[in-house]
Amino acid sequence: MGISKVFIIRGKGILNQYGDVNKKKLAHMFSQGFSALTGGNTPGECISLNFNIKDRIGIKINTLSGRMLSTRPEVSLSLANLLSDNNIQKKNIFIWDRTNHELRDAGYRLSIDKRSINILGTDTQGVGYNPELISHLNIGSLFSKIQANFITASISLAVLKDHGLAGVTAGMKNYFGAIHNPNKYHDSNCDPYIAELFDTGLIRKKHKITILDALIVQYHRGPSYHARWAEKYGALIFSFDPVAADFAGWHIIEKLRARKGLPSLAEERREPVYLKTAEKMGLGKANLNEVKIIETEV
Amino acid sequence: MKLKYNNRMVKRRQFLKATGGAAILAGTNLKAVLTNLYAFSQKANLSKVEARFYKKHPDREIECTLCPRFCKLSDKERGYCGVRENMGGTYYTLVYGKACSIHVDPIEKKPLFHFLPNNQALSIATAGCNVNCKFCQNWEISQVRPEQINHVDFPPTSVVKSAQANKCPIIAYTYSEPIVFYEYMYDTSQQARKKGIKNVVITGGHINPTPLKELIQVVDAIKIDLKSFSQEFYTNYVRGKLQPVLDAIKIVANSTIWMEIVYLVIPTLNDTPEEIRSMCQWVLREIGPDVPLHFSRFHPMYLMKNLPPTPISTLERARNIAIKEGIHYVYIGNVPGHKAENTYCPNCKNILIKRMGYQIQIINLTNGKCKFCNNPIPGIWS
Repeated sequence: MGISKVFIIRGKGILNQYGDVNKKKLAHMFSQGFSALTGGNTPGECISLNFNIKDRIGIKINTLSGRMLSTRPEVSLSLANLLSDNNIQKKNIFIWDRTNHELRDAGYRLSIDKRSINILGTDTQGVGYNPELISHLNIGSLFSKIQANFITASISLAVLKDHGLAGVTAGMKNYFGAIHNPNKYHDSNCDPYIAELFDTGLIRKKHKITILDALIVQYHRGPSYHARWAEKYGALIFSFDPVAADFAGWHIIEKLRARKGLPSLAEERREPVYLKTAEKMGLGKANLNEVKIIETEV
Repeated sequence: MKLKYNNRMVKRRQFLKATGGAAILAGTNLKAVLTNLYAFSQKANLSKVEARFYKKHPDREIECTLCPRFCKLSDKERGYCGVRENMGGTYYTLVYGKACSIHVDPIEKKPLFHFLPNNQALSIATAGCNVNCKFCQNWEISQVRPEQINHVDFPPTSVVKSAQANKCPIIAYTYSEPIVFYEYMYDTSQQARKKGIKNVVITGGHINPTPLKELIQVVDAIKIDLKSFSQEFYTNYVRGKLQPVLDAIKIVANSTIWMEIVYLVIPTLNDTPEEIRSMCQWVLREIGPDVPLHFSRFHPMYLMKNLPPTPISTLERARNIAIKEGIHYVYIGNVPGHKAENTYCPNCKNILIKRMGYQIQIINLTNGKCKFCNNPIPGIWS
């Protein structure tokens, strides 16, 4: 694996004074991000290069923190629309997370209509967890049937946040929401669990792209929302490398913390050590020599 | 088996249906358990009872002080146990009165061999556990969140009434890890005691001293699983700490309630004579020779299916070490029919209680003394 590229697409004026999203600008940011991923191709070319037309694509979002700090519906629907505009059938797109009540609390309207984009939680009637207990390194979990059975390709569309234990929660830890027992994996700064969970076949083989919703970044006291430490950052972050994407997210959080006079995560003994573990496992890059961060404003 | 519900005798199936139709019988029917595990689609019916033993911190953060994990949680997060949640800076138990397992068991099944032998215990559990043993026998309920399995509303009053109706002189908090449903267990125990019903706790002992000392005030016996005598084992296979368990054993030993210890012997992992001997010497030094010690047979389960069941010879070797070190009551568990299921008088060596599996065949005790030599035998016998 050579240099990993991470594209930070910042949208000037993407959020108005009330925090509402400019949807047109958002769609443009997605287009830019997808184009950048494949070196200037159109978004459609990027999608056709990375997804089969028959793929059932899961968009794994994070709705743990309610309306203020979840993957916004506008963001995930904008991504879903981009996919459906480029030959992925709506019925084959699954926006999903752990529970329906968390999705609702985050502003989503649930849908399992075969003619439209699916928006559902693992606790939807008839879904649940796959009965096969997956054991891999330190992981022993049941996987959501959405991840295990329904989808053939996955996009991790997580919110970029500070995390009291892991240091950072972003695209990789987002998959904690794909298993039945995430509470068992928070010891030792969530390490090596975040990396090892990602390394399971059901995730690693299906994961295609990480996109971080960094429109608002919680840079301290996460993963809960605290307005005092939430920055309107106005960006989406794209990478094929799941580790590099989180690595770039970590650096954004550190910069925001430094700017606000907060100690670094290392000083608070919660540096995201999972990134180094992930790098050692060959899941991606987590060092400045091999991660190229390219920032663009639209 | 028939159980009593609403003053009438019903079949076990009817009982379960009457109590919500969804109780899982731990360890009895894996298929049924799995069916329940994956069919939890209805809206979660969880409790919202403020937890005991936690500290509030700024910014809606809390720190749980119930067990040695000391989980520090932001708003909307759950502890390691998966059944206690920070909601806006207040910590709640989600499983108060939410039993996922209800069963009537012989007390010998717990196992408690020196506590009201030949009696039945109404046994209950909720989802959740504060460790994650790779060899857990009940992982389908202990390693899941409460909304992932079916449960019934079974508040403390109903538990006590059900124990009375089913002629159970004992309520056992068991199967998963009762520490994580502490409030439910505590309140039920208080109510049960007023009705003359005994309370027993079947636990891994991974609990902090303050809650344990309070719990001891309302229960009558505790069985503690000492899963190994090495921290390395606790780190790698239990995801917990050894020292708090040893501390808990000492606290219980220094109280007035009854205690027995179970040591699950797992081939190659915690079965060396040196480790067994060290553990026995510690028990003798810290507690004395009269605490019953059970060496239980491991069976492949959960995340540890790569090892065979414990050879009987390994269990016998462990028992011999314990006896040689001076422990008086040493048993072998999960080997029905083995002579080490019996209780022997340490003085005259006669059989005091002859067991076959969970069945009691003979009791040669009179007023807690050996019928043959009048040697007093420690335990709660009536």
